[in-house]
Amino acid sequence: MTTALLISIISTAVIYAVSVLYAAIGEIFSQRAGVMNLGLEGIMLMGAVSGYLVAVYRQNLVLAMIVVIIVGAVLGLVFAFVTVTLQADQTVSGMAMLVFGTGLSGFIGKRVSGVNADLAFQAFDLPGLCHIPIIGPALFHQNILVYIMYIIIPVSLIYIYKTRPGMILRSLGENPAALDSAGYNVYALRYGYVIFGSAMTAVSGAFISLAQTNFWSDGMTSGKGWIAVALVVFAAWNPLIAVFGGLLFGAISIIGIDIQMFFPNIPPQFFAALPYVATIIALIFTTGSFRKRRSAEPAALTIPYDREKR
Amino acid sequence: MKKRIIGICLAAVLAAAGLVGCGEAQQAAGEASAPAESGAPTTATGTANYIGEDKMAQEPAEGTDFSNLKIGEIESYVINDGGWCQATHESVVAAMNDLGIPEENLIVLESIGEDQASTEAAADELINAGCNLILGTSTGYASFLSPIAAEHPDVIFAQWGNKTDNLVGYDIRSYEGMFLAGYASELMSQAENTELGFAASMNEFSVRTAINAYALGAKYANPEATVKVASIESWYDPDKESQAAQSLIDAGIKYMGMEASSPAVPETCEANDAFVVGYHNDMSVLAPEAVIVSHTWNFAPIFKNIMIQTAEGTATPDDFYYWGGECSKLTDFAAFVPEDVVAAVTDLKAQMDAGDVDIFAGPLNDNTGNTLVSEGATMADEDIIQQNFFVENVQTTWKAGE
Repeated sequence: MTTALLISIISTAVIYAVSVLYAAIGEIFSQRAGVMNLGLEGIMLMGAVSGYLVAVYRQNLVLAMIVVIIVGAVLGLVFAFVTVTLQADQTVSGMAMLVFGTGLSGFIGKRVSGVNADLAFQAFDLPGLCHIPIIGPALFHQNILVYIMYIIIPVSLIYIYKTRPGMILRSLGENPAALDSAGYNVYALRYGYVIFGSAMTAVSGAFISLAQTNFWSDGMTSGKGWIAVALVVFAAWNPLIAVFGGLLFGAISIIGIDIQMFFPNIPPQFFAALPYVATIIALIFTTGSFRKRRSAEPAALTIPYDREKR
Repeated sequence: MKKRIIGICLAAVLAAAGLVGCGEAQQAAGEASAPAESGAPTTATGTANYIGEDKMAQEPAEGTDFSNLKIGEIESYVINDGGWCQATHESVVAAMNDLGIPEENLIVLESIGEDQASTEAAADELINAGCNLILGTSTGYASFLSPIAAEHPDVIFAQWGNKTDNLVGYDIRSYEGMFLAGYASELMSQAENTELGFAASMNEFSVRTAINAYALGAKYANPEATVKVASIESWYDPDKESQAAQSLIDAGIKYMGMEASSPAVPETCEANDAFVVGYHNDMSVLAPEAVIVSHTWNFAPIFKNIMIQTAEGTATPDDFYYWGGECSKLTDFAAFVPEDVVAAVTDLKAQMDAGDVDIFAGPLNDNTGNTLVSEGATMADEDIIQQNFFVENVQTTWKAGE
């Protein structure tokens, strides 16, 4: 296998991973706070379409990302209102968000379907680092959203595990009543994290329409929102494991195409089946007896907080 | 609680698989399923009324009244999908405009699932709305529309793909355009390399048709030309489509064909200074520097004929259309394509139109060494439609007929 090919595989796996990681890390924060949002796919599509609309009509990527974050935040606000204030069932509300986002994005995206924005986040070399053999061109010839993700990963880890707000976040999902008695506003905190998670998810969508590809088509995220949901559980609510999960899924889903060039005797169906095999293995390791030993699942996840029921 | 989370997670994975599945169905819709074993122009009950291309330029008889012709169009996805549904819808509109049928005589039902309940509901709605011509634009509708058509002999049902009882059938000789596209690609590639690539979604007969025609066109330009296939294994997946193109480029290929649904292949080519023949619709819009030319589906002549015959009362459910020529249409060549290449393609097209070029003429072998067509013979339409083979200069890990 040539070096160029190796670089191409790693680089594509990174792109794939980042396209789901914004959503997955956002959802980790949201679930750590005790709110599970299954509507990621819908929010992702809304992010993808709103970013692309701005790119087409305003030709401004910064403005596009601001709009994307606002759209994500507004959807997050709606979701928080329904699940935190109204205490609705999170699974059902998540499904509603999925259907709403999928439908609305298709509707407002009609006018830019097949339209060329000719404006995307371009890859550029990170000075110094890009000269490292293999790793350099694979990891440090990427677009700005990938580099931002390189910063988000350590920051989110430190935030969750090493800071006081992170500790509060973890207790929010474990024992919100205790936080409440300590004088914290459980509702406001949950609102904040749900809105943050949703905004991050919208960025994932915009990454798909403005960085990974440069077009909009109805339902273009093709299930990536669900991959992000699965990644959160697979990663045991830990952003670092989510990164490896994302890379693994990314590599597995594309490597088959490369390998068929070099091992033409292996049937391509074998590689097409790999992501499903990986999913089953991941579920075995993350559920059942493996899981019991060391579970990071927030105890209060999906349970609406109600002061009266303390 | 834990069980619940795990359950939800499993449900999420299943839902993801389901969504992917849906996506595939939607995209697959355009690709048509394998025709009946007996081949397209025959039905279970006997030979269909084959309507030849000599009818292509047919005009309605003097005084034909189209005001009562109400058309219902059933689409598996949205009509601006930038692919299959858009191509069929634009063809319907073009045919209507050509005949002066007002816009309000068309009812379009979008995103209709290819299942019994959805298809029956859609057909009922259109029949109740007074439609006398109903177009099923995806393969999956055929088996459900067939019994409905039998109950409503006053309504003409036209169905894409193989000939089904009670339904007018239509299909396009898409290999004609792809043959020209392969010829053009090889002429352009020849100076640097004789190996072409092809990013292909699934191992399915309509995809094989595109690959084979592209390879035969390349071979027509240069007997040494080969086509290397990168298989995507999905009807819609921009990640994999992009990687397929990237993988071909990494293997040293600069010119390729494609049968994939998103613009990911052209975009990847553009980013890597490679070139591609667009498919389904004009892909130069999204990647103007990479798309040599695009193969598009032009059903307008067929739809026009069906509309005329329906209005005149001469259409019968036995009719079957399998047209090429302007139906298998190439867009204009990009400005960067050398003039001599465009001239050569135009010349070849003229020869094909005059009937001087037989694309599937013998001697022709498949890529495992079996003889497909012996010298002096030519392939039957049934075999061309089914296309259960890869021609000799195609390099792929796929096996035909799987």
